[in-house]
Amino acid sequence: MRLLLVLLLLVAAVAHLLLPFGPLREAHAVDPGLADLILIQLRLPRTLLALGYGATLGISGAALQAMFANPLASPDISGASSGAALGAVIGGYWLGLTQPLLLAACGAAGALGTLALLVALAGRRADTTTLLLAGLALALAAGAATSLALALAPSPFAFYDAYDWLMGNFADRSLAQAAAALVPASLASVLLLRRAHALDLTALGEDVAASLGLRPRRLGLEVIALSAIAVGACVSVAGAIGFVGLVAPVFGRSISRGHPGSAMIPAALIGAILLAAADLVVRSVPLDRPIPVGVVTALFGTPLFVWLVVTMRRRVTA
Amino acid sequence: MPGFASLLAASAAVRVASLNMCTDEYLLLLARPQEIASVSRLSRDPADSSLWRLGRRFPGNRGDLESALKTRPNLLITMGGGGKSTALIAGKMGLRTLDLPFPMTIGDVASNMDRVAAALGEPARSSPWKRHLARLQAPHQAAKDAIFLGAGGNSVGARSVEAEWMRLAGLRQRSLPGGRASLEMLATRPPAVLLRSAYRRSERSLGQTWLEHPLARPKSSKVIPVDGRPWTCAGPLMLGEVQRLRGLL
Amino acid sequence: MTSLVARQIGIPGRLQRTDLDVRSGELVALVGPNGGGKTSLLRALARIENASGVVAVDGEDLDLAPLARRRRLLSFLPASRDVIWPIAARDVIALGLDRPNPTRVEELIGLLELDLLADRPVSRLSTGERARILLARALAGNPQILLLDEPLSNLDPYWVLRIISILETTARSGQSVLVALHDLSQLPRFGRALLIAEGQVQMDETPASLVASERFEQVFRIHAAEGGWEVSCQAGPRSSP
Repeated sequence: MRLLLVLLLLVAAVAHLLLPFGPLREAHAVDPGLADLILIQLRLPRTLLALGYGATLGISGAALQAMFANPLASPDISGASSGAALGAVIGGYWLGLTQPLLLAACGAAGALGTLALLVALAGRRADTTTLLLAGLALALAAGAATSLALALAPSPFAFYDAYDWLMGNFADRSLAQAAAALVPASLASVLLLRRAHALDLTALGEDVAASLGLRPRRLGLEVIALSAIAVGACVSVAGAIGFVGLVAPVFGRSISRGHPGSAMIPAALIGAILLAAADLVVRSVPLDRPIPVGVVTALFGTPLFVWLVVTMRRRVTA
Repeated sequence: MPGFASLLAASAAVRVASLNMCTDEYLLLLARPQEIASVSRLSRDPADSSLWRLGRRFPGNRGDLESALKTRPNLLITMGGGGKSTALIAGKMGLRTLDLPFPMTIGDVASNMDRVAAALGEPARSSPWKRHLARLQAPHQAAKDAIFLGAGGNSVGARSVEAEWMRLAGLRQRSLPGGRASLEMLATRPPAVLLRSAYRRSERSLGQTWLEHPLARPKSSKVIPVDGRPWTCAGPLMLGEVQRLRGLL
Repeated sequence: MTSLVARQIGIPGRLQRTDLDVRSGELVALVGPNGGGKTSLLRALARIENASGVVAVDGEDLDLAPLARRRRLLSFLPASRDVIWPIAARDVIALGLDRPNPTRVEELIGLLELDLLADRPVSRLSTGERARILLARALAGNPQILLLDEPLSNLDPYWVLRIISILETTARSGQSVLVALHDLSQLPRFGRALLIAEGQVQMDETPASLVASERFEQVFRIHAAEGGWEVSCQAGPRSSP
């Protein structure tokens, strides 16, 4: 099954990079170096971002779900993505920061602040209702604050950027931007993956984990911090994209036979495939107006989310 | 209140309130200081107007007559209508109004200059500007393929008044789908000359970030930074822009 | 041979600092009223919740033992039977091992009659089934010390008896087993009983003498009688529910 996923990932990556093929062929006819220029400067950052951001969402989604012991926790539902957007907007539009890495740090700070608020509001072992309510409230508040921050920003064009920040956009990003997002995200994700076994053990409950020598509180703080850094960096370049971080871990767990920590790697593969596919859909729709990526992820994510809630209800009442 | 109007008329001197940044340009170029009652806020903002230093010497209004009233104008200049309340109040007060049409061609800009000069009482005031224009309009070498590039890749229409000004400088604005240049197009078919607007460059937005993409500075194009502010109105101030561009090309 | 040595262990507000020695092969019951400190004692021994003091198993300080060793030294089974994730029962049991050992997992599946449930997701099983699976997990690594919090509650009589006999076998093979009990009916099968109330170990004797003592009657307000228990009339007001 994992092999199949890796193959699917390669197919998605190549398709995302090369399609539409026509312009590349034309460019090559004019000058071979031209096709390479477009491929490397324009297509490659976009593909790397789509795959990397998707994988990040899968990994941090799985980690957050393991840590909150709740299959509904995710970067978007916990408010982390919206908080990251708020942080990046304040850093970019208000503080005037231009260096992509600094903006990534602002995104991480925003995500961290929101997650900290969530833990303060709902507690770490909150039941589903509390977690959902608190997380969604924070996500809505952060989203509204982001729009407000854009409306009041010095630049009069800022307001029109709201769509990109709140629903995601991969178009016209440079290699420097992709690096600023993916280098911190990869580092943080690798550190998260190293905690896979510890997260698997949390399935037995915090007490058992503690008796085995793990430190649940410290693990929780680490997961929050690393997820915030990874998601925050990606959001600072491509905006907040929802549903992938919720849905990819669910499928990841069906591959890892239910283990929440071991689900991180399959969730990463699935997240990357989903987001690359969503961006491909966005690019192939023949409208002269761009559709934000978040719209497509919401389209396939919402029915899955509803199904999740329904199965959870059934389980609780059983 | 006809009494008010007649008092002002009695003073005989014209006092003009301009309610629009584009009409401000004509006023600031043609009027004497004592003839200017107020200009719009935008002409006092360095981010929007290259005449801001001049504009700051006068009171500012918010583009409606109410905010201009306290400076007691007897002539209002608007562009494209000016709004219902403006016409209403002006009518009640017996104020003269002059509404300039949006210029679609350089000829329209010249006509607007004439109209404002006439409203100020000295039609000859527009002559120096028109002579300068005539010198620039003398035939010159063939136009080069060019693109005006603003934030987010937004450009100007191939048949717009901005494009006419570019033609005077020896540049032919390329016709772009949706009026916007894409990074891919800039890479595959770079223009001979690329005019990069510095309008509000220090204020961050995604459009500004777009301009910093490596492909937005094609290596084979002659890249010329331009002050984007006169381009907003594409009015009389463009003479200076054209002169400058000719010197650089 | 003493396998568990605990000195000055306690949890602020729940368990006063206390010392405890348990020899290998002992099957110890912890009894006492709700909120009295049974669970806290187990948690303090398992080093959960910033417990104070020192716990040594076979001479090794638990707090200093590397993670890989700890599973062999001590295993803790909490009273809660919740598992959120749909992990296969077999895999849950395997979580108790630090190295994959399918033979051992099969052994436990057989012992606790989990054959039909082995590949089903544990979150969808009944509480009683989950109880057996989680117990199997606790037993899997053959730890020197087993700390079990109410492992018999809400189980069918068949399983109550089977599990007690499994625990007796475990103790006989040299491990030490401490079990917090709410239901006193199985108490006679234990070799040693501690009465824990108001955050302290008030008695430490054989079950028979514990049950017969005045202290027991004071704390529980019942006494042993023909065919079971009877409420004691002379009991005064007490805080425990």
